[in-house]
Amino acid sequence: MRPFDPRLLRYAAAARLFLVLSGALGVARTACTVAFCWLLSRVLVDAIHGVPLEAAWGVIGALAAVGALRAALVWLADFGSARGSALVKSQLRRRFVAGLARLGPGWLAGRNRAEIATTAGHGLEALDGYFSLFLPQLVLTAVATPVIVAVMMLQDATSGIAVLVTLPLIPLFMVLIGWATQSVQRAQWRSLTHLSSRFLDLVNGLATLKIFGRAERQRSRIEAITEGYRVETMKVLRISFLSGFALELIASLSVALVAVSVGLRLVNGDLGLGVGLFVLLLAPEAFLPLRQVGANYHAAADGIAAAEDVFVVLDAADAVPTPLTRAASNWQPGALAPAGVRFSRVTVDYEGDRAVHPFNAEIDAGRMTVLAGPSGSGKSSIIAALLGFVPFAGEIDIDGDRSAERLDRVAWAGQNAGLLEGTIAANVALGAASVDRALVERSLALAAASELDQDSPVAVNGGGLSGGQADRVAVARAIYRCLDRGCPILVLDEPTAALDGDTEADLLVGLRTLAAAGITVLVASHRPAVLAAADDVIRMAEPANA
Amino acid sequence: MRDSRLPDARTLAVLRLAQPRLARFAPGALLGLLSAASSVALLATSAWLITRAAEHPPILFLSAAIVGVRAFALGRAGFRYADRLASHDAAFRQLAAVRVGIYSRLVPLAPDGLGATARGDLLTRLVNDVDELQNLPLRVVQPLVTAAVTAVLSVIGISLILPAAGFALALSLAIGFIVSTVAHSAIAARAERAIAPLRGALGDRLLEFVNGLDVFIAFGAVAERQAAVDEADARLRTATLARAAAAGVTAAVLSALAATATVGGLIVGIPALAHGSIGGPALAVIALVPLAVFDVVGTAPLAMAAWRQVRSSAERIAASVPTDPPAELPTELPAGAPSRGNPPPQPTAPDGTVLELVDVAASWPGATEPAVHGVTVRLRRGDRLVVRGPSGSGKTTLAHLLVRFLDYSGSFRLGGVEARDLPLETVRATIGLVEQSPYLFDESVRQNLLFARDTATDGELVAALERVGLASWLSERGGLDARVGDAGSLVSGGQAGRIALARALLADFPVIVFDEPAANVEPRLAELLLRDILSIATDEHRTVIVISHLPVPDALVSHRLDLDSARPLEAAGTFDPTARSTPAL
Repeated sequence: MRPFDPRLLRYAAAARLFLVLSGALGVARTACTVAFCWLLSRVLVDAIHGVPLEAAWGVIGALAAVGALRAALVWLADFGSARGSALVKSQLRRRFVAGLARLGPGWLAGRNRAEIATTAGHGLEALDGYFSLFLPQLVLTAVATPVIVAVMMLQDATSGIAVLVTLPLIPLFMVLIGWATQSVQRAQWRSLTHLSSRFLDLVNGLATLKIFGRAERQRSRIEAITEGYRVETMKVLRISFLSGFALELIASLSVALVAVSVGLRLVNGDLGLGVGLFVLLLAPEAFLPLRQVGANYHAAADGIAAAEDVFVVLDAADAVPTPLTRAASNWQPGALAPAGVRFSRVTVDYEGDRAVHPFNAEIDAGRMTVLAGPSGSGKSSIIAALLGFVPFAGEIDIDGDRSAERLDRVAWAGQNAGLLEGTIAANVALGAASVDRALVERSLALAAASELDQDSPVAVNGGGLSGGQADRVAVARAIYRCLDRGCPILVLDEPTAALDGDTEADLLVGLRTLAAAGITVLVASHRPAVLAAADDVIRMAEPANA
Repeated sequence: MRDSRLPDARTLAVLRLAQPRLARFAPGALLGLLSAASSVALLATSAWLITRAAEHPPILFLSAAIVGVRAFALGRAGFRYADRLASHDAAFRQLAAVRVGIYSRLVPLAPDGLGATARGDLLTRLVNDVDELQNLPLRVVQPLVTAAVTAVLSVIGISLILPAAGFALALSLAIGFIVSTVAHSAIAARAERAIAPLRGALGDRLLEFVNGLDVFIAFGAVAERQAAVDEADARLRTATLARAAAAGVTAAVLSALAATATVGGLIVGIPALAHGSIGGPALAVIALVPLAVFDVVGTAPLAMAAWRQVRSSAERIAASVPTDPPAELPTELPAGAPSRGNPPPQPTAPDGTVLELVDVAASWPGATEPAVHGVTVRLRRGDRLVVRGPSGSGKTTLAHLLVRFLDYSGSFRLGGVEARDLPLETVRATIGLVEQSPYLFDESVRQNLLFARDTATDGELVAALERVGLASWLSERGGLDARVGDAGSLVSGGQAGRIALARALLADFPVIVFDEPAANVEPRLAELLLRDILSIATDEHRTVIVISHLPVPDALVSHRLDLDSARPLEAAGTFDPTARSTPAL
C-alpha cells in the first residue's frame, strides 16, 4: 500500500491546499517546540546558577507565551485536519455522483447498489483518520524531524549523530515487522475470517436452530468458536504488536543514550548544562512525528482504501467518451403528436454476451403493444437500448428521429421503482417544473393507484409502500410525464409483476384508455392478462446464449 | 449533558457482562501502569542525571541514575508490549462470556420477539455491537485507570520533593482530566446527536441517487438529484466543522495545561532553590515531569470516545434484546413441571386427528390487533393443507404460532393435547417449519443437514438429498464436504428450499409447515418445487401444511384454508372495489 495516492490531489483540489497548510503549520509548531525547549533549559540553568525568580520573569513569561502559542497551533492543526478532510470528502462525493451519472445505469447493472452508495457516504468517513492522524504527521516528519536533528547537530554533534543513526531504524523495523505480520495474517486469514463470522452465522440462523431444537446446545459451541478466534488472533497480535514495541524501544533507548552520554560529558566538563538539557528535551521530539506515522499507519491504510473505492468509479467515469446525461434539449413539450417506434437489427451485448438476437419491430402509434417472452429473452435489454442506457448495434428511431433527443418523447417505468423520500405527488411529478395536483390524481387513477393519497409520505426507497404500490406509483409517474409533456410513447417494464388479478385488470383498463387517446403503449410482460389486453404482441426469441 | 449521565440499569447489566473480573483484568492493567510510570520516570531520571552531572560529582554517584535511565527506557517499551498482549487476551476471553450471555437472552426471543432487529442488517449490527463490548476493558477502563493512577503517583512523587509544586501539578492535572473527559464528552455527544441524522440523510440521498439513476436520467432529473446530494453534504460538512472547532479545544487545553504545570513548577521551585530547600536536579525534575505526565493523560479523550461507542452499543443491545420476552411470545413451562397431568402427546389422537385448531388467533409483539384470528381446521395423518390469502392476511403468523414462535389464543391441540400445556421443545419436535427464506449456515453441506438429525450417516444424508432432487447438484458440488457459502450465497433459492426440505425430512417431523416455499424461486421452477414438496413430504403419511400464494393443483391437496375468508374483520376494509370508476383522460 502506498501511504499517499496522487489521484487524491487530482480529484480533490482541497487536498493540495491541505498539504500546503499542514506544511506551514508544521514549520510553526516545530519552531515553537524548539523555542519551548530552549527557553525551559535557559530558565533551569539560570536558576541553578543563582538567578532569582524576579530576574527570571521575562524568560518564564516567554516560556508561557510559547506554550500558549503552541496550544493555539494544536487547535489550528486539529481544526485544519477536520476541515481538509470534510472538503476533500465533499469534492470526492460531488465528482462521484457526477461520475455515476456519466457512467449510467448500464454500468450499475449487476453491481451492488447499496454498496456503491455506501462507498461515497459512510465509506469516505475513513478519510477522517487519514487526514487527522496520518497525513499531518507525515508532513511533520518531513518538516520537523530534519529541523530538530539539525538543531541538535549544531548544539551537540554527538547527540545529533546518535539520533540520526537510530532514526532510520524505525522505518526499517516497521517494514520488517509489517512483512512478518502479513505472512502470519495470510497463514491465518482463512481461519480468522471464518471464525470471525461464525457467531453472526449462529445468531442469523437462530430461528432455524430453534425449529430443530438445537438452539440451547450452541452455547458451548459459541465458547469454542470464540476461544478459537482468541487463539488465532493472539498469534497474529504477538507479531503485529512488535512494531509498536520497536517504535517505542528505539525512541526511548535513544533518549536514554543521549541522556547518559550527555551526563557523562557533563561530569567531565566537556559540555555546558544548558546545552545538555536542551538536547535532552529535543531528543524525544525528533522521534515523535515518525512514531505517530508508524502508530497510525492503519488509519492511512483505511483512508487510502476508502478513497481507492471512489477512485475506481472516477477513473471509470473519466474513461467514458460521451456522457449519457443529455443537456436540457430545446424540445418543446406541447400537444400530443402520435409517434411510433421502429427497431431494426438491434443487438445488445453485455460484456461479450449477446443479450438480444437481431431484433426488428415496428411499434405503431396509438396502439398497445406487448413485448412477450420468458425472463432472459432480452425484453429489458431492448427497453434499455431504446432509452439509451446501454450501447447497442442497429437502429432505433422514433418517427424517423434517431438523435438522442428522441428520448424526450418517451416516458418510462422500469422494474425498479426508484422512489424518493417525499410525498407521492412529488414522486409522480418527478422532473416537472411544478406539480399539477389534478394531473397527479388522474395519473394515479390511470395507474390503478387511486387508493393512494397523493399527499401521503414516501420514505427512502419507497419505504411505507408495498412493492405493488411502489410499482404503480412508478407507472403513474410515467403517465404523468406523458400527459404533462405530451410524450407520445409510454414504455413499461413488467408493470403488473407484483399485482393481484383485480388490480392488474384495472391497470390494463388505464393503459387501454391511454392507447385510445393516441399514446403508443409498449409493455414488456409475460402475464396472460397483459397479453390478452394487447393490440399487438411481439414474441422475443430465447436468448442466444441459453 | 446527556453523556455524563450514568447509563440506565439495563445498559449497566450489559456493560457488567463485558468487564472482566479483577483477576483477569489486573495483569494487563498493572503492566500498562508500569509502562506509563516508566515513561514518566525516564524523563525524571534523565533530567536528574544531567543536572546532577553538571555539579561534577564522582561518577559513582551517577551510576544508579544511569542504570535507571536505561532500565526505564527498556521498561517503557517492554511493559507496553506485555500489557497489550495481556489485555487483548483478557478481552478476547471475556468476549466468549459476552457472546454466550447475549445469545442466552436471544434464544427465547428469536425470531418474533426481536421486532425489527430480526432483519438481517440489524442483526449484523447487533452482533457487531456485542463484539464492540470487548473495547470496554481494553480501550475505556484500562487507559483511564492507567492515566489516573500515573497522575496520582506523579503528584505524590513531586509533592515529596516540593509540596507546592505537587499542588500545582495536581491542580493542572485535575483541570486537564475534567476537560478531557466530562467537557470533551459533552461537546462530542451534543455534536454527535446533531451529526448522526445529517449523516443518515446524506446516506439516504446517495442511496436514492444510485437506486433511481435510470429513472432520473429518463425523467431529466439528474441535476436536481445531484443538487439534493450536494445540499445534504453541505449540511453535514457545516455541522462536522462546528464539532471539530469545539472538540479541538480539548487537545489545545491539554497542551496549554502541560506548559502551565511546567511554568507553575518553576515559579514555586526557583524560590525554593534559592532558599536551599531543594537542589538543582530536583528543580529540573519538577519542571520536566509534567510534560511526561500530560502525555499519559492525553490519551483520556480517546478513551472517552471509545466509551461513547461502547455505551451506545450496550444501549442498543439492552433495547433490542430485552431480558423479559414480550407477552405475545410463549413462555417455557416451569422446569420439571409435569405437563398439567397430560401424558406426553402421541403424534395422533385416538380419533386419528394429528392437529386441531379451533378459533385460533395470534398477535405480533407490539401490535394492537391480532394478525390472524378465527382459524379453525382439523388435520389427520397424511392430510395436505394449502393455506392461501393475500399478503398481510396472517399466513406467516399462522406458521409461527404452529411452531410456538408466537403465543396463541383459542385452542391448538396436538395429538389431542393443548399445545400451551406442552414444553416448547415437544411441540417443535412434532411440528417442523421450513421458513420462507430457509437459513443455511456457512458450513459444509453435511453440517447443514446433520443438525437436523445428528446421528445420520453420510449415506442417509445423501439419500435425503436424492429424495429432494439434489443428487446431481451434490455431485456437481463435490459431495457433502462442499461449502454452501455465507448465508447460503452459493446456493440458488430453489436449491436452498430443497436443502431445507431434506433437513425437515431428516428430522422426521410428523407435521411439516412450509411458509411460501416458492417465494424465492423463479416462476418457472416454483410450480415444480411446490409439486415436489407435496408429493415427497407426504409419502410417509406425514401431515403437510403449505402456505403459498401460488396456485396448487387440486390433486395434491386434501384441505384448503383461505385466510382472507377466515377473517370477517377484513370485510370492513378501506376501499370498495366496485366504487372505482374507469378513469378517463
